Formats: sequence, structure tokens, C-alpha cells
Amino acid sequence: MPDKEPLPAEEIRIGVYTCQCGGNISDVVGCARVVKAAGELGNVVVSRTNLSLCSDAGQALIEADIKEKGVNRVVIGACAPSLHEQTFRGTVARAGLNPYFYNHVGIREQASWVHHDNPDGATAKAIRLMAAGVAKARLLEPLEPIRLKAQKHALVIGGGVAGLRAALDIARRGIKVTLIEKSPFLGGHMAQLEQVFPTGDGARDLLKALIQRVVSHANITLYTQAELVGVQGVVGDFTVQICQQSRGISDDRVTAVNVVAPANLPDEFNYGLTTRSVLYQPYPGCYPATPAIDWAHYEDGCLELNGEPLHLQNKPKTFDLAVGAVVVATGFRPYEPPIGEYGYGVLPEVITLPAFIRLLALAGEDERLEFNGRAVKNIAFVHCVGSRQLDGLNEPQPDGQVNDYCSRVCCTATLQATNELHQRYPAINVFDVYEDIRTYGRGHELYYNLASENRVRFLRFHDDELPEVLAAPAGEEHPALVWVTDYLTWGQSLELPVDLVVLAVGMMPNPVDDIIKLLKINAGSDRFLAEVHPKLRPVETAVPGVLLAGTAQGPMNIQESCAAASAAAAKVAVLLGQGYVELEPFVAIVNPALCDGSGECIKECCYEDAISMQPVMVNGTEKVTAVVCAANCAGCGVCVGACPNRAIDLQGWTLKQYEAMVDALAAEDLFALELA
Amino acid sequence: MKNLQVDALVVGGGIAGMQSALDLADQGFHVALVEKEASIGGKMISLSKVFPTLDCCSCITTPKMSAVAHHENITLLTYCEVVALEQNGASYRAQINKKPRYVNEESCTGCRLCEYACPLDLPSAFDMGLGAQRVIRVPFSTAVPQKAVLDIDNCILCGKCENVCPVADCIDFTQTAVTFEIHADAIVLATGFELTPTDAKAEYGGGKLRNVVDALTVERFLAPTGPYGHVLRPSDGKEPESIAYVQCAGSRDISLGVAYCSRICCMYAIKQAMLLSGALPLADITIYYMDIRTFGKGYEQFYQNARAMGIEFVRGKVARIHEDAAQNPVVRVEQIDDGSVVEREHDMVVLSVGMLPSYNPGLIYNVPVAADDGFVAQSAANISPCLTYQPGIFVAGTAAGPMDIVDSIVMAGAAAAETAAYLEERRAVGMAGNGRSPQTTSVKEVSYA
Amino acid sequence: MSDKREDAKKRAILLKQLREAHKETVAHAQEKLKAQQAVRRDICKLMREEPKTVPEVAEASGIPAHEVLWHITAMKKYGLVVETGMCGEYYLYQRVKDGKK
Ligand SMILES: Cc1cc2nc3c(=O)[nH]c(=O)nc-3n(C[C@H](O)[C@H](O)[C@H](O)COP(=O)(O)OP(=O)(O)OC[C@H]3O[C@@H](n4cnc5c(N)ncnc54)[C@H](O)[C@@H]3O)c2cc1C
Ligand SMILES: Cc1cc2nc3c(=O)[nH]c(=O)nc-3n(C[C@H](O)[C@H](O)[C@H](O)COP(=O)(O)OP(=O)(O)OC[C@H]3O[C@@H](n4cnc5c(N)ncnc54)[C@H](O)[C@@H]3O)c2cc1C
Ligand code: SF4
Ligand code: SF4
Ligand code: SF4
Repeated sequence: MPDKEPLPAEEIRIGVYTCQCGGNISDVVGCARVVKAAGELGNVVVSRTNLSLCSDAGQALIEADIKEKGVNRVVIGACAPSLHEQTFRGTVARAGLNPYFYNHVGIREQASWVHHDNPDGATAKAIRLMAAGVAKARLLEPLEPIRLKAQKHALVIGGGVAGLRAALDIARRGIKVTLIEKSPFLGGHMAQLEQVFPTGDGARDLLKALIQRVVSHANITLYTQAELVGVQGVVGDFTVQICQQSRGISDDRVTAVNVVAPANLPDEFNYGLTTRSVLYQPYPGCYPATPAIDWAHYEDGCLELNGEPLHLQNKPKTFDLAVGAVVVATGFRPYEPPIGEYGYGVLPEVITLPAFIRLLALAGEDERLEFNGRAVKNIAFVHCVGSRQLDGLNEPQPDGQVNDYCSRVCCTATLQATNELHQRYPAINVFDVYEDIRTYGRGHELYYNLASENRVRFLRFHDDELPEVLAAPAGEEHPALVWVTDYLTWGQSLELPVDLVVLAVGMMPNPVDDIIKLLKINAGSDRFLAEVHPKLRPVETAVPGVLLAGTAQGPMNIQESCAAASAAAAKVAVLLGQGYVELEPFVAIVNPALCDGSGECIKECCYEDAISMQPVMVNGTEKVTAVVCAANCAGCGVCVGACPNRAIDLQGWTLKQYEAMVDALAAEDLFALELA
Repeated sequence: MKNLQVDALVVGGGIAGMQSALDLADQGFHVALVEKEASIGGKMISLSKVFPTLDCCSCITTPKMSAVAHHENITLLTYCEVVALEQNGASYRAQINKKPRYVNEESCTGCRLCEYACPLDLPSAFDMGLGAQRVIRVPFSTAVPQKAVLDIDNCILCGKCENVCPVADCIDFTQTAVTFEIHADAIVLATGFELTPTDAKAEYGGGKLRNVVDALTVERFLAPTGPYGHVLRPSDGKEPESIAYVQCAGSRDISLGVAYCSRICCMYAIKQAMLLSGALPLADITIYYMDIRTFGKGYEQFYQNARAMGIEFVRGKVARIHEDAAQNPVVRVEQIDDGSVVEREHDMVVLSVGMLPSYNPGLIYNVPVAADDGFVAQSAANISPCLTYQPGIFVAGTAAGPMDIVDSIVMAGAAAAETAAYLEERRAVGMAGNGRSPQTTSVKEVSYA
Repeated sequence: MSDKREDAKKRAILLKQLREAHKETVAHAQEKLKAQQAVRRDICKLMREEPKTVPEVAEASGIPAHEVLWHITAMKKYGLVVETGMCGEYYLYQRVKDGKK
């Protein structure tokens, strides 16, 4: 970029505002002292404090000072910039100033919250930080956001109910959607459910209707057996690489194919309660209806076509797509208890709740419920398996952490299962072993009440006295025993002889380390994908243009997954609807007059195509210098340190500004102000 | 007042309504937001700090209020109610009644000189009757709009406010209600919730025990703008040393006809207990509960932190509360763990009251509520949670049942998506009121006949 | 000048008419104001010279403690009373010396 024209000399009039943050700051920091100290700094014409500057009244105060007192640079000491820097830029812009004539100083996270035990120190620090903010404000330059053309096309990853819902809602807003699903079929875990709370609808009926709308929508393109393998670019203009496996067999040949190999592969759809063949379909009516080859178990010769051996090969194909936004809806997986937890994997009579739901479905119209060839008479459900774990009391997961969260759906899902059980097999005795019953949602408590009416026998444990599941001594009528210290009977130790133990396992996120890395998003300490802020930006990740939908973000039921998915769709529509996106102008900028073309900056830069050598005209002569591509520059500033000629700088965070801030932070004459 | 033509009408200016309006307006749709109170903000604006992040509540709410007020695609109408609705082809014609503020909304600067001049103090509903407000006042310090409102039923018409008001003809004792129409293609109901009244349960003192308060009152005690500026008990201003929470007070209680769980009270009680132990480091805090329902993201960890902080959790059903001679509430509790019944005295007892439906849109909007809980019925609760049984009318936030702020905001976003898609699809088949596309038109004003 | 007087006169007449129209509520509010002023006088007298706690004021005046608390809260909000410290579990309040603000 050529040399900037010098700004017209204008008197710099700084307004400094110290927010009390409703006590969050003022309970510790002496705001009046900060106001006084800031008021004495050069160029400061107004210094005020307010209970809550981000409120309309607070913002009006600033606007009035700009319009009436000629304030032309604004410094606000408040919360972290991530919370309200944008809010105040808007305020400044509304009053007619360039929005970047605004500098946000964090005195809550950096002063009052961290030094609440030392009010004087916190106040002194706030004064220093504000002085540095004022020093920077004197050197602020007007900037314009970088405007990029946006692709009216979104990628949705995951074809569970959340991904389907998100895809549909984006498409309905006239934006093209590509939906990729890793498995060969749509629907995710919801397809494995039967009656779902709170409505009692059939899960696959609901899914079928939704899938029908998705696949018939002109704006949606669908790829099954497809995964994300590469990402470049930024919001509005990502290039993504998708890799799709072969399905194996086309529709016209399906009926003619004969499977020679025995159908002895565990069927994951039924959690291994049944087996399936290498060419399979999870359930009748699934989408796509075409069966898929299970490549992991495919062996040449296991299929025949018209009596001839059929030779198939998985030929994955990879292709590029240009999309403006990405919605991650990769869902959950049920917690898989380690061998031995509550007898799981040791006693055959211990199964998980998702498997039990399949067991009930498979039992169909049977007169009695059988498991392992014996009639089930007594059954115990155990809550919170793999959830609500406590450090020191529970075995950590392989990654060394315990699952310290509640999985939210398992309580109601358990009660729904007990109610269905009672309805179909009223003679079975049901024990429900729990710590707290969390039927929190609309209509959920009715499941609890109904279970009580159905004479489900509830037993309550404490988290430091977990129940135990043991094999019954040989010859007993029931093969398993559940030991519970029950606090509904005042701490009695009870022994429940049962035929089946159902573990209400919680949710874990689907493993998506690859996606996290590719999209540069974060997982929280619970391993689920993290939102920026649960209230301000609940479905957005820290990467602009990457959104979250459904249980990839945390445990949710169907309704909550769909609400989150629609909310993400609304954000996509806001982002891409206008046809362009705006990025912060905090990118590197080269002074071609100083650049000697040595390329030190390119060596250090970690971002693809952010900086390159190109011929430019400087004072009438052509010269090869570094040129920044604003769309790809992350504004990290590594290049600034690398340049031996100080030819490259960061807009909005220039070296000069930093120097001024450092000088202010270290200034001797501030001590007097701090003590004043 | 001019008639308005908009794409969507949002009813209710709590967090859910504001978020729906913003998400629609950001997509280029024109929105009218109608709020019955003098300021938007809903219940959330009176909270102190909010779980699970413990951010200061106004840091989340007030900027949203401000954004609503300044958004070029949003027309904000406070102190207004929809009094009739007519279906006009595929769109709606809402008749709006705007109550008189007795203050000119255009010219009032919110300087509050009138408020200071007014001689009469009244109990302030915003502070649950424990604080005061004048007959004429700006509703609260962060109100949007920052405009005074006069309570004519308590006014002595002394004229003192008018004398000090610096704006000519701003205070107008003769103002009357006005009506006008809003034409909208779609409607979002975000009318929120009410709280179980404290007198609902005779066993808990029937609202007569001064030191038995509801949790919203404690929010005000904890808020920096609260009535006392401290946590004090209402009977005599004593700083309480022992505070107890009674969970499920008004929820999960068939005797009150409320079978459902209110979903927020476990978390807000734990939150308040933590905030109270910050404000009153020496106080003992006990929570009497049946089940602790900390199901949301990060909520269980929040609960475990509270336990680690020394807050006492007692599994037990509170059967009765009475008070001793010094007005200390005495709680009679059946302890689940050992079956014993004990009486314990506290300085103050907080009822973790539940959520009740606030507004029944049956009559005007022809939108049914669910028979078992009274909240707006969802026609496709699992897959399309924002749909009601009335096409073109959607629901968001606690109007559709108890939920916290996070869930209300997410649902508000979902309602915006449903509404936007509905509007877009109607346009595609040429059913839109005027065939307008969202990006190109401005708010049309039709003069009122 | 005369314009202004004219306006003031008009206003006075209008207010009078309005008071007539809202007779009942105005009378009710006036009563409330009178009672409030009387109670406040009693409370303020006690807190003028030295700061007092709510129970102290209540005992000395015979006004129920919760009412005393409300009046003090109201006066504090509008700057007529200030908090000066604590005595045991109670805050101390004092009437601001120079009256109004
Ligand atoms: C036992 C049990 C019972 C339940 N009962 C109910 C009930 O009655 N009512 C109710 O409301 N809720 C119930 N739920 C919850 C419900 O199952 C979930 O809310 C819902 O399925 C979540 O949908 P999702 O789309 O977020 O995730 P998922 O269903 O897990 O879908 C995620 C999809 O993404 C795909 N995917 C994963 N990784 C990738 C990748 N890298 N690339 C591409 N695709 C990928 C997966 O293959 C999958 O198809 C129950 C849950 C359990 C465990
Ligand atoms: C004591 C307490 C503490 C809480 N603490 C927390 C917390 O820490 N964290 C958290 O996440 N949640 C908390 N909550 C829950 C939170 O308050 C609600 O989730 C949230 O306020 C719901 O917002 P809403 O917009 O749905 O409803 P509301 O806030 O009730 O808003 C509804 C709005 O609609 C208006 N309205 C109603 N009817 C009409 C009509 N007919 N016409 C026009 N306008 C109408 C109302 O005046 C109101 O402004 C708490 C709740 C309570 C009671
Ligand atoms: S929902 Fe119930 S079973 Fe599941 S983790 Fe939470 S408390 Fe435990
Ligand atoms: S006229 Fe009414 S509102 Fe105005 S000062 Fe008098 S009492 Fe207050
Ligand atoms: S959230 Fe907790 S206190 Fe509230 S009704 Fe539900 S269980 Fe009771």
C-alpha cells in the first residue's frame, strides 16, 4: 500500500470513561480515583464514570460528549474487549466518529477480578492501564473493516437430527447447503430410538419426515460416507476438501447381488444384539435406501452378481467446495463403560440403555421379554453411569479426566424406558437406582410421575456410596445382584436380585480431533465443542463463520438439538445473506518505501497466502516488496518482529502505539496520580 | 400514531423477544417489537449476576436493549399491547393500544429532574415492593427507553414535576391512550413467565412472613442497583447470618396444580448461595431440596463447586415454615436421608419459586396453550420447537415453558430462523403482503385514518 | 412576561380541572402523602443528630421496623439519608444535614 496521506492536523480530544460494571469493577477499583487520574492526562477533555456504560444510558453519555464536547477519541475502561468492544465501536460510529477511534481497556478481568484482595493495587493498576489506553488513543488512525465477498453456500458436517435441521433452515433462506455425513445413512443416533420423550412420537417417523424435506430441497446437496479432510480460507470464503468413500453397489444392481459371506458381523445399529451382513442397511426405510458395503469387513469374493464373483474396490474421491460458513453437527456417542464398571463386560446381564432400547424394539410383539435366553422378571436401571463423576471417587477416563457433567437426557430416557416396559410387560419388577432424578424439561416430570404410579421401585444412592453390581451365587433364580445403600429407606443396604441391569450411560462427544484441528476451533474441559459465550454467542465458535449445532456442543435432547441447529442456521443467514462479510482491519500492512524485499516476514508467517512478494510501484519505479493479502492475514504480528527494516506493521496495533503504551505503563510521573 | 407495515411482529421485550427481533432484523427483515411495560428487558434486567458464568446481568442485557433500540430494522413500541388481531389473507393485522405515559416520549430526555421533584414515594414493583419509586420516574437506571412515566392513579397533580421539567410541554397530564395498527406477515410470541406468588402456599406462611422472601427479591438484594445496596432482611434491616433455600416452592407440587419442574430454580438457588457467601462471608447457607437438577452445560460443575465452598445441601422436603417472636423463620423439614423431622431457625428463608405462564394468547391470537401446564402449546415439539398450532405465529423463550437464559436465547434464534424461512417461502410463492424482499424496502408508514 | 403569566394561569386552571376529574385518586394520594410526611418527620428527627439503626428508630418512634426500613430505603435512594457505618448486624443511617439533596 502506498504511503498514507498525512491526516489533517486535528486537535486530539480524548474522552475517558471508567465503567463500574454494576459493581464488578467499582467494588474493588476506586473508580473516582481512576476518573480523576485519567482526567489529568494530556489531551483528555472528559473523564467520567458510570454504573454500566454498555447500557443505553451509558452509551448515550458517550454519544453526547462526542457531539457536544467535541470528543474525537474514546477510551473506555471496562470488561474484556471480547464482551463489549463491538458494542462501543457501534456507539462511537453512531455519534459520527470512525469506529476505530475507540480503544477498549480491560480493567475488570485485569484489575478488579484478579486483585479483589487488594483494592489499592487494583486501582493503581487500573490507572496505569487507562494511561496506556490514552497513550494509544492519541495515535489511533481511522480504519475501515475489510469487506469480502461471501459464498452463499454453507457446509454442514453431520447428518444427525441437528445437522439435518440446520441444513434445512439454511436452505430455506435461499442459501446453498452441502451436508456431509460420515456413515452411509442419515439420522444419527435418533434413528436408533423408538418412542421419544416428551411427545411419544416414533423417532424414525419424525426423522423420515425431516429427511424427506431435506433431500427434496433444491438448495441441499448431500454426501454420505463423506468427511472433511481439508480447510483453507476465512469466513465468507472457505475452501474445503471433502473425501467420499464408495458406496459399493448401485441401485440397479442391488437386487441382483448375492452375499456369500455369512451375516455374522455385529450390527452396530442394535449395539451388537444382532448381526448383519457386509452389505447392509441399518433398518427398513432408512435413507438412502441403497445398502452400503462395510469396507472394513469386505473381502474379495464375499459377493456374487448373477452367480459370478463380484470384485469391488473402495475408491474414495476427494473434491473441493467453496463455502462461506461451516456448521459442525457431529453429535455424540453413548458412554462406553470400561470392562468391570457395574459389571459391564463381565456379567452378560449388564447392558447399556441405548442397547436396552434396541432390545425392547427387537422384542416386538413377544409375550415376554427375554434376555440371553431367559425371561426377564426383575430389572434394575442405574443412573449417571459415565456422568457426574467426581475426581477421586470415580475412575478417570483414558485421557485422565472424569466426566464431571450431567448428560441431561438419560434420566428422562430411563423413565421413558421403564414406562414403556411397564406398559408392555406389566409383570416385570423395575428398580430405578438414582442419585437425583432430573426430569427438568417440559413434559418430563410426567414420565417420573407415571413411573411412580407404575410402581417402579426407586432407590437413591449418594455419590460417595455408589451401587455395586455382582454375579449372584450359582443356583440363584436371578443371575445378578445390585447392592445399593438406599437413602429413601434411611441408608439401608439393600440387595436386589435381577435378571438384567441397564446402565443409563451418558453422552460423550463424537471424537472429532481432526475437525477441531482443521477448523481451528476448541473443545472445552468436558471435551465437547466450545461456544464463545453461552449467552452472548451460544452457537458460535471462536472462529468466525464456524457454528455449532446439537450434541457436538454438549448433551441435549432432540428438541434442544433442533433449537440449537435452527439458531445456528439463523446466524449463517445473517452472515451470508448480504453476500459479503466484514472482517476486522487488524492486519499487517507494508510500507513499500522501507521494504527491501528480503522476505524475512514470509519465512515467519504461519498462514497460507497471507503475505507474498510482488512488484509494486514506489515513487514511479517498480520494486518487489512484500504485499499482504488482508483476507488471509490473521493479524498475529509475527512478521512485524521479523522485519529488520520496520517496514511492516499491524493496523490498529502499530509499534508506535505499543511504544507509547509501554512508556505510559512505566511512566514515573504516574505515581503521583495513582496516589492522588 | 402511524400504522406500521412490517415483516414480523415480536410480542414481548424480554431476552427472548429481543434476541428474536435482533436475529430477524440482522437478516434484513423489518420488525416491530411490542412490550407491555414502560421498558424492555423482561425479568432478566432485574437479576444480579447470572449462572453459569456469573457475569453481571446488565452486561448481557443492557447492550441487547440498546441494540434493539438503535437497530434500523426494528421499531420499538413500549407500553403497548396487542388488543385485537385479525387475519388478513395470509398476514396479520394487529390492533395496538399504547398506554399514556403522561410524558411526551419524543421529547423527554430522561434527566429525572421530575422524579427528584415529586413529593410522594411508592413501593417499587421493580424492587419487589422493598424499595421506593416516585409517582413520576424513569422505570429503572438502565431502562430502554430512558423516558419518564407517570402513575396517574397515585398522582396528586401538584404540578411540581412540570415546574422543574426543562423541556417544554413534556409532561402532559391530559395524555390518553392511542390505538394504531401493525400489519405483519408473521408473529413471534415471547411473552415470558410469571413467578409463583409467595402467598401460594399456606404451609409456607401464605406470604405473611416478612423474612420469607422469593428468589427474585434476593436477586434485587444482590444487584448493585438493589433497594438496600446490601443483603438485609426485610423485617428490620438485619444482615442475615443464616439463610435457607426451600427448593421446588411452587413447582412439582400437585396441590398447587403445578406438576412440572421449573428448571431454573436449582441453578439460581446455587448461584445466589454462592453470591451470598461472597457478600456475607460469615453467613451459613442451607439448601433444602428433593433433587438437584443441574443439567445444563457446566451446571453440574457449578453445583459441585458450591458444595466445595461449604454451602449445606440437605435432602428434605420442607413441610412448614412459621416464625418465632423475633420474626426468625423456623423451617420444619423431613430429612430424606434418615427420615427424621427437624425444625431449624434461620434469619431469612428464600422460596425457590417456580415459573408460571404469564400470558394466554388463546383469545387474541387463537394460539392454544397446553392443558397440563398453561404454556403456549408446541405443535411439533421435537423437530420444530418454535411452531405453534397457528401458521405464521411462532413462540420463543419461557412463553413455551420454563427455561433459563441460555436456552431462551437459543430458542429465540431458532424462532428467528423459523420465522425468516416462513417469510422467505411465502415470498417465493408470491404470498407476501406486498411481494417485498427483505433487503430492499424500508418500513412503510400508512397514516392512521 | 404577560405571556408567561397567561400560560401559568392556564396551567393552573387545567390542573384544577384535572384534579376535579381525578378527584378520588388525588384525594387518596394526598392522604398517602400526608401520612408519609408525618412518619418521615418522626423518623428524621431521630436520625438528625446522630446515626441510628432501624431497630433503634423503630423502638424510639413506635413505627414498625419494616416500615422504618422502607422509609429509610426510599430516602436513601433520593439522597436524603446516608449510611454511615455498621453497629453489630445493623447499618447506621443519618439524615443529610442540609435538607434536600
Ligand atoms: C439412550 C438415549 C435415549 C434418548 N432418548 C431421547 C428421547 O426420547 N427424546 C429426545 O428428545 N432425545 C433423546 N435422546 C437424545 C437424542 O438422541 C439426541 O439429542 C440426538 O440424537 C442428537 O442429535 P445430533 O444430531 O446432535 O447427534 P447424532 O445423532 O450423534 O448425529 C451426529 C451425526 O454426525 C455424524 N458424524 C460424526 N462425526 C462426523 C464427521 N467427522 N463427519 C461427518 N459426519 C459425522 C454421525 O455419523 C451422525 O450421523 C436420547 C439419547 C440417548 C443416548
Ligand atoms: C430469581 C430468578 C433468577 C434467575 N437467574 C437466572 C440466571 O442466573 N441465569 C439464567 O440463565 N436464568 C436465570 N433466570 C431465568 C431467566 O430470568 C429467564 O430464563 C429469562 O428471563 C426468560 O426470558 P423471556 O424473555 O422468555 O421472559 P421474560 O423475561 O418474562 O420477558 C417477557 C416479556 O414480555 C412482556 N410481555 C408479557 N406479556 C406481554 C403482552 N401480552 N404484550 C406485550 N408484552 C408482554 C413482559 O413484560 C416481559 O418484558 C432466573 C429467573 C429467576 C426468577
Ligand atoms: S440426566 Fe440423570 S442419569 Fe443422566 S447424568 Fe443427569 S442426573 Fe444422571
Ligand atoms: S404532579 Fe404527580 S407526578 Fe408530578 S410531582 Fe406531583 S405527585 Fe409527582
Ligand atoms: S429446578 Fe430444582 S427447585 Fe426448580 S422445580 Fe426443578 S427440581 Fe425443583
